[in-house]
Amino acid sequence: MPYETEVLIIGGGATGLGCALDLALRGIGCILVEKGDLASGTTGRYHGLLHSGGRYVTSDPQSARECARENVILRRIMPHCLEDTSGVFVVTPWDDADYADQFVANCHAAGVAVQELPLAELQRRESLLNRAISRAFELHDGSADSFLAARSLALAVESAGARIFSYHQLERLIRMGDRVVAGVVTDRRSGEQQRIDCAYVLNASGAWAGRVAALAGVQLTLVAGKGTMVAMNHRMVNTVVNRCKYPADGDIIVPIHTVAVLGTTDLHVPDPDHYGIEAHEVALLLAEGEKLIPGLSRYRALRAWAGVRPLYQDSGQRGGADRAIPRTFKLLDHRERDGVAGLISLVGGKWTTYRLMAEEAVNLVAQRLGKLQPCRTAHEVLPVPATEHRAHLPPLRGAAARYGAQTEHKATWPINGLAQPWGQNEIQGLDADYYYLGQHLGAVEQSQAAGDLICECELVTRARVLTALEQGIHTLDDIRRTLRVGMGPCQGGWCVYRTAALLYEVQQTQAQDAPIDPNMALRDFLQARWKGALPILWGDQLRQARLDEQIYVGLLGVDLIADS
Amino acid sequence: MHYDTIIIGAGLAGLSAALRRAALGERVLVLAKGYGASGWTAGCVDVWAAGDAPLSALATLVRSRPQHPYALVGLEALQRGLEWVRTLAAAAGYPLVGGWERGLRLPTALGALRSTCLVPLTMVAGESRQLADGPLLIAGLRELRDFFPPLIAENLRAQGYAATGCYLQMPPGERQRECTPLHVAQCFEQAHVRANIGQQLRTHVRQGGYRRIGLPGVLGLHQAPAVVAELQALSGALIFEIPTLPTSVPGLRLFHVFEQAALAAGVRMQVGGWVVRAEAEGQQLVAVYSRAAAREQRHSARRWVLATGGMLGGGLRSDAHGHIIETALGLPVAKPYSRAEWFDPLLFAPGGHPIFQAGIAVDPQLRPLDAEGRVVYENVAVVGGALAHYDELREGCREGVALATGYGEEQKNR
Ligand SMILES: Cc1cc2nc3c(=O)[nH]c(=O)nc-3n(C[C@H](O)[C@H](O)[C@H](O)COP(=O)(O)OP(=O)(O)OC[C@H]3O[C@@H](n4cnc5c(N)ncnc54)[C@H](O)[C@@H]3O)c2cc1C
Repeated sequence: MPYETEVLIIGGGATGLGCALDLALRGIGCILVEKGDLASGTTGRYHGLLHSGGRYVTSDPQSARECARENVILRRIMPHCLEDTSGVFVVTPWDDADYADQFVANCHAAGVAVQELPLAELQRRESLLNRAISRAFELHDGSADSFLAARSLALAVESAGARIFSYHQLERLIRMGDRVVAGVVTDRRSGEQQRIDCAYVLNASGAWAGRVAALAGVQLTLVAGKGTMVAMNHRMVNTVVNRCKYPADGDIIVPIHTVAVLGTTDLHVPDPDHYGIEAHEVALLLAEGEKLIPGLSRYRALRAWAGVRPLYQDSGQRGGADRAIPRTFKLLDHRERDGVAGLISLVGGKWTTYRLMAEEAVNLVAQRLGKLQPCRTAHEVLPVPATEHRAHLPPLRGAAARYGAQTEHKATWPINGLAQPWGQNEIQGLDADYYYLGQHLGAVEQSQAAGDLICECELVTRARVLTALEQGIHTLDDIRRTLRVGMGPCQGGWCVYRTAALLYEVQQTQAQDAPIDPNMALRDFLQARWKGALPILWGDQLRQARLDEQIYVGLLGVDLIADS
Repeated sequence: MHYDTIIIGAGLAGLSAALRRAALGERVLVLAKGYGASGWTAGCVDVWAAGDAPLSALATLVRSRPQHPYALVGLEALQRGLEWVRTLAAAAGYPLVGGWERGLRLPTALGALRSTCLVPLTMVAGESRQLADGPLLIAGLRELRDFFPPLIAENLRAQGYAATGCYLQMPPGERQRECTPLHVAQCFEQAHVRANIGQQLRTHVRQGGYRRIGLPGVLGLHQAPAVVAELQALSGALIFEIPTLPTSVPGLRLFHVFEQAALAAGVRMQVGGWVVRAEAEGQQLVAVYSRAAAREQRHSARRWVLATGGMLGGGLRSDAHGHIIETALGLPVAKPYSRAEWFDPLLFAPGGHPIFQAGIAVDPQLRPLDAEGRVVYENVAVVGGALAHYDELREGCREGVALATGYGEEQKNR
């Protein structure tokens, strides 16, 4: 029996989920399919920066404008996913000092708020920054947890009545004449195929968009630009730090959760599924990081990873560096472009602008379908998943209080109720709702759950792990994306064994058609962490890796267990 | 104070050397940053991870890998070390059982069967050859985060053992917020806890007819064999410990056997400072400097033993450029040619990772060698994990090499 829906969305990253929510809120039926876990594409492999727009004021003013606008909206609809770190653009001795004034002028022109920060104030806030920095500007950058945002979006989508199928890969698009009428997807766990009939296919598959378009016989050429990032074990800055210069490699440090992330590089890769991390990329990131924070490369690096940017170039404007390709997004209506109706592709863009991309794409689809409801996503506050502490905790005391005021999340959900108009008061009250470092510690202290931590590095309690497991996850990597288990300094040394064992115990209590082999899950997870750690294994982190090996080989004998 | 021998490093290798030399009447100082890696180990004596017949595997090894520490010191040194450690542990009231003729295999906290040679009395009832003699219970404590009976039992069942997993309750009042293995071990030193847990076990045994019960390796810190005996009497089944995640209590117990013996033998132990540099006259090391708090301290001796461990112990340190330094004396390090060759892309590659075979190359007297094979210091012996050309973890020979080289070092350097 084929499923039937109005719009089939391909891709469970920020863009696809944004489209699903927008459609559902306008009362347009949709199904989203994602070949892996939600946010397992570029959305989960990005730098973590909620852009103020400052980065693009010179290279791509339109993107800058879009970022500035969306920044305000995201602060309103998903404060629990954002950390209000603020951002600085600094002029180091390696940067052209004359660019600074032009930067400020460009910010003004693009509507990006900017303010010069006295150097004394910069040093007071960020004492590890290079003392040779000659000027600094403050902008509204922040950091963002894209995994949490994806889960919040998914919750919203599902409570608005639309369906999400993760681990379902689109295999074929079926055309009737010059119109796409259905997609065929494979459930990657059971191997079963399913046909989904639809009026429109929204191709939100990011770096894979060319492949999806090809399934409909449409040629869409993308440049896959790989960017590598390195997570450091310390949050040596609490503010997003950008070099004040024309965008280049390794010029941003983003503090997020317990780490600081250096990034990024930009290299062409032929295949978005297969790319490595080169030693020279890691060396570059550390060397550039040294310019901002002298001594940085002596800190412990935790892991390196990369994501791929789908950069789209209209035919005819070939050549030039990747960074010159506009970062703004493109909405491609294949009826106009290629004479194939029923297929719309969204390419390019940024995480920060996912909502805007979705809004424009859905405007087009809605208009074609003759649906007149306006977009509501700029006003609907997203729900907080149950795995988060704050969803079920009263106001925090103890350590949390030391990190700043904390009030309980305002429940403006469920979505089926009337949308709340955002008055001035609510916007002012928002400050207290951001995620902040220390939030998890505060919750753990308050519930006196220190003895029940499954992951000490990221302060994840047994209760949160069980909640996540009971909601149904498919790999230990899903748990990592959900709770950050295994992302801290020990990279899974203790917590992955515990999580695998809990996974087994939860599965025993639930009837599952395809239970996961906990031993294999454990090994797969450790292997994936190993891959991410290899580019940065030296010093203390190499010692840590040996300790983890001692635990998994020397104590547990993971390598001695056969798959069941 | 001038010492006959200064040992750098307080793991099993360093303490073996210290005990041996103290027994011969030498004045011995142990200088160390911390207490070695014992709390990260299973607390057994691993000699060679080759299943049932380690001895014959070792005979082949010493012929095929002449640079392996066992080949350098000879298997007699290993045998003497094993005999000695059994005597030492028995005298401390913590007997070790087994031998190198016939390997032992014991369940891990994942339910895998891990090879070793000598095990404490508290574990011996878990030996795999006996495990099949009837229904088997794996019991844990829900408060303890490092031991999960259902998964252990599942993996044992998959290997043909009739295992069941269950959780026991910590007695009220002992349910501390931070239930670490060490804390639980201290709880088991109290009679009322043993009585309570023993009672719970007895109920399970009555219901399930279990012959053997595997419990986490937390059954007391100081009196473990007595705790096990009492639980056996109370429950009516044979009890064995399974080592948990670190901190591993059996690892600490084994370390304490060595530490107590060293202190009793008059060995001085100065723990908490890094040895940071050496002072030499020609090929003689005359002094080292240790750094603790704010000041450097000079220590001089006639002979030296370097027992600082490898990458895990902190005896070796690496950087992003592929350099590896030996941290205490700055000895030359034998290592893979470039950083690109350090690792296998597969974490569980059977051969392990080349970087972890890096270390100090030595001659048969265990004296450190430079890249050209010349002796660096005539009066220094290198023992244990700091040695090159072996992987103590993947080869399953950490304690064996520590004993063979640590206890055997003196005979090479009279
Ligand atoms: C290195 C790097 C750093 C970045 N840093 C930032 C930053 O700091 N701030 C910011 O705002 N933006 C940043 N971005 C940009 C941002 O990450 C992306 O714009 C955004 O995540 C794109 O989301 P998406 O949903 O369009 O794509 P994706 O997240 O890639 O989602 C596409 C999904 O489609 C799925 N898919 C593909 N083919 C199929 C198929 N056949 N069937 C089913 N599913 C399929 C994929 O599995 C994937 O999950 C960065 C990008 C990169 C590469």
